[in-house]
Amino acid sequence: MSDFVKVATISEIPPRSMKSFEVNYTRVLVCNVRGHFYTVADECSHDSAPITDGKLENDQVVCPRHGARFSVVDGSVLGPPAIVPIDTFNTKIENDNIYIEVD
Amino acid sequence: MNNSATQIPTDNSTYHIPEAALDLISGPQWLHKMRQTARKVFNDTPLPQRGLALWRYTNPESFLVDHNQMVGAQSCEGCNKTTEEVRQQFNDGNLAGLAIDCCGRDIEIQTGPDAEQGLVILPLSVAMDTHEKLIQKHFGQLVGSDTGKFEALNTALWHDGIFVYVPDNTTIENPVHLLRYGDGAKTTYYPRLLIVLDNNAQLTLIDEYSDGSVEHDNGYAYVNGAVEIFGAKDSRCNYIPLQQHTSSTRIYLNHRTRIEQGASTFTIPLVFGSGLSKENFGVYLDGSGAESNIYGVLFGSGHQQFDNHTLHHHRASKTLSNIDFKVVLRDRAVSAYTGLIRIDQNAVACEAYQGNRNLLLNEGTRAETIPELEILNEDVQCSHGATVGPVDPEMVFFLTARGINREEAIRMIVSGFIEGTLSHIPNNLQERISNIVQQRLEVN
Amino acid sequence: MAETNRKKNKDLASLGDDYAVRYGFHDPVDYFHKGAKGINHEVVEMISQMKKEPDWMRQRRHEALDIFFSKPIPGWGNPKLLEEIDFDNIYYFMKPIEEQQHSWDDVPDYIKKTFDKLGIPEAEKKFLGGVSAQYESEVVYHSMRNDLKKQGVIFLDMDSALREYPDIVKKYFGTVIPATDNKFAALNSSVWSGGSFIYVPPGLDITTPLQAYFRINAENMGQFERSLIIADKGSRIHYIEGCTAPIYSTDSLHAAVVEIIALEDSYIRYTTIQNWSRNIYNLVTKRASAFKNATVEWVDGNIGSQLTMKYPCIQLLGEGAKGEMLTVAFAGVDQHQDTGGKMIHAASNTSSRITSKSISKDNGRSSYRGFIKVHKNAKDVKVSVDCDALLIGEEARSDTYPTMEIDNDQVRVEHEARVSKVAEEQLFYLTSRGLSEDDARLLIVNGFMEPFTKELPLEYAVELNRLIELEMEGSVG
Repeated sequence: MSDFVKVATISEIPPRSMKSFEVNYTRVLVCNVRGHFYTVADECSHDSAPITDGKLENDQVVCPRHGARFSVVDGSVLGPPAIVPIDTFNTKIENDNIYIEVD
Repeated sequence: MNNSATQIPTDNSTYHIPEAALDLISGPQWLHKMRQTARKVFNDTPLPQRGLALWRYTNPESFLVDHNQMVGAQSCEGCNKTTEEVRQQFNDGNLAGLAIDCCGRDIEIQTGPDAEQGLVILPLSVAMDTHEKLIQKHFGQLVGSDTGKFEALNTALWHDGIFVYVPDNTTIENPVHLLRYGDGAKTTYYPRLLIVLDNNAQLTLIDEYSDGSVEHDNGYAYVNGAVEIFGAKDSRCNYIPLQQHTSSTRIYLNHRTRIEQGASTFTIPLVFGSGLSKENFGVYLDGSGAESNIYGVLFGSGHQQFDNHTLHHHRASKTLSNIDFKVVLRDRAVSAYTGLIRIDQNAVACEAYQGNRNLLLNEGTRAETIPELEILNEDVQCSHGATVGPVDPEMVFFLTARGINREEAIRMIVSGFIEGTLSHIPNNLQERISNIVQQRLEVN
Repeated sequence: MAETNRKKNKDLASLGDDYAVRYGFHDPVDYFHKGAKGINHEVVEMISQMKKEPDWMRQRRHEALDIFFSKPIPGWGNPKLLEEIDFDNIYYFMKPIEEQQHSWDDVPDYIKKTFDKLGIPEAEKKFLGGVSAQYESEVVYHSMRNDLKKQGVIFLDMDSALREYPDIVKKYFGTVIPATDNKFAALNSSVWSGGSFIYVPPGLDITTPLQAYFRINAENMGQFERSLIIADKGSRIHYIEGCTAPIYSTDSLHAAVVEIIALEDSYIRYTTIQNWSRNIYNLVTKRASAFKNATVEWVDGNIGSQLTMKYPCIQLLGEGAKGEMLTVAFAGVDQHQDTGGKMIHAASNTSSRITSKSISKDNGRSSYRGFIKVHKNAKDVKVSVDCDALLIGEEARSDTYPTMEIDNDQVRVEHEARVSKVAEEQLFYLTSRGLSEDDARLLIVNGFMEPFTKELPLEYAVELNRLIELEMEGSVG
């Protein structure tokens, strides 16, 4: 069922930035951490709303509403009020294109 | 499966309705004005804020369309198996009327002997001339540009729709069946329905939404519909919206009903289709003694996302409302249900009940339920309940211990779960719905 | 009859007059320290300097203030009343005495008088394990039984705890409720003062409750106590707090933050009765974390205040954790009690139950705003929510806004809510037995509240029943 889907080219997401996409009705956030691309669910586990408007600080994303912090590498919680991790998605680069795997 | 990735838009001006879009639609002057207002409202209204109130679970951006990217409906391929079945029912004399609406462009209508009693079914474009006063009085009153941004979108851009009228003291025994077909990839369809029941009139109407084309994967189809139902004094309306779009269609539907003194309605939402849907079922109880019942069944599978609202607004005394909304989910389906009961301060001696039951068939499903009450006076009887849970393991055990295999046991339990609701719909349809549910339980 | 009732109504103005006698007094006080009105970084700096705090706390206060400035006023609950809060017209810090007292005799007379009226020392003498009393911003009287102290129980005001046990405070402070949580939590995090700090060592079972009182005395005073309660592995504790304030013509703000941490196998019961005067905005954030096999029980009564927005939350973080919440709200004339409960299930085999009772009288409005979340990895979870609302009067209003998000199938969630008025049949039955209509109504209301009051220590139950009685006076009509 799961396939890698192209979401963007690497030039569209410069270092220290992130961008939101919708694949199979799932909203994901693709983050560029010093040239490495990571994809997490664009949904804070504290209030189920998007994280898009938050900040990317190194490999951490900070939710804009209540300040919850997550690792974009493994989705783990790094700061309250969140208590459970967010989903992560396999991400690969081929020919300057970013592909992610959403089941 | 729609596997393309969509970038979430940030600049909403892309999604504005161009001025020229309205020039292509004909109609009376007052309607053209209404469309212009709606266009302006849509373009000027910011998107609902994500996370607030009714937009907690669905991204409002999902219901925007880039008008430059979309194509008009091409040729309706709506003449499928369902059409044949419904035509057959009509020919057998089991339906009072039949309308086939292809993307609001091509509307075919047939009426039987009931038309002689006064039943009217017409394309809205025709009724604008033949029943101008009735339409001017009701059209846009319940769903219009002041209802919300997406309702304004429909009000500006609907092309043609259906008008149904039942005069005073007239009972239409057989149901009327409407078939409304959307089209394929990158098409838009703005269905519109106006039903007016005069004093003491009775009608049963099946309002079926689906796609003429099969699933496609090169962009979604977009459907944004509006339904207005007016029930005058002592009228009785059974309204059965059946939503069966393919998962490559996104749908936003707002159904609104207003009933007067002594009138009653049954609204039976049967929600099965679409990849992403937001449907609103609202009833205003405006006359003393009015009664509204909403009995819904939702079945979700695959990656379907549902976001349904119900509203019972008691604006007159001695009104009664009742809701029983049942949800069955499997695979990775997600359902959010928000139901509001509001009882105004001057609406005394009201009764209101609301139930929402969610049956989760496997891991990976999600159910959200928000049954809300706003009670502004003391003289009420009001309650609501909600449950979420898996199939009762004891029931499964009971059945399997009697030699029934697990899959069959679950099918039986789900059938039992929705049976009560299906008893409120016409027999022919009951059978079809049971079959749909059984098929959806089988497919892997 | 009608004449008498009208007179009664006028005399009592519901809680008004009696509240004034019992709690509504305010004493002319020469404050040891009274800062300027308004909030800015200088005020925050001053508070931190005066408390001689470690640098990390000082920095956190400043960061929290910036968060406070950047956060919008909530757009829900009661936005109209919230918008009326004039943050520049509030005193953020007042210190009534220089040294905290440990013997009741050393407490200055004016404060003693206040607390005598509230009955603290008697209560302590009778049965309480520890008592702490906060007057305006700081704790003025503190005492705890010596045997508990010897067993390693720490029960201090937060300021002293930060000085004496900085490591424990630093480890837990803000971990359950960060300053970023909401505007009022941010405000508290920047100007907090006082509050209770409790640490119960592993395995210790404290059979008698620990208790605190919070009192706002001055006009335009904001009270921002900060409490942190930690039950170490296998320990058990019951903590009770009560709150009052006098009546002034202008409004005061109470914005507390309470963080509760129940470590493995521990048990915490947190009981609070808030009886604020009718010009208090009571906007508090209270949350508990329950680890493996821990139990948190929350008993929360809200009477008084102009607007209360309070949604205690229990996070069930470890397998087998249990949460139970029992809340009562009474909204009288011009009051809005926007309360509720939240249960977050983040682990398997967790269970929770919320029982909410609300009474709206006259044009009072009570809202239940609840939230249940079952995360997808939390299997075999049981949830039950039960809301009951009683309406008394044609203009009374009750709202119920429960939200339930269930992200997996191995759960049992049940929610029920009912809204009704005092049943005519019941009234008729009781009055036909010779009760006056007032008494009959009161009896019915007491019956409605009984599941809550029976969970309270006797003194509190008696007090609560008396307050309800006052609220119900002259309600026929």
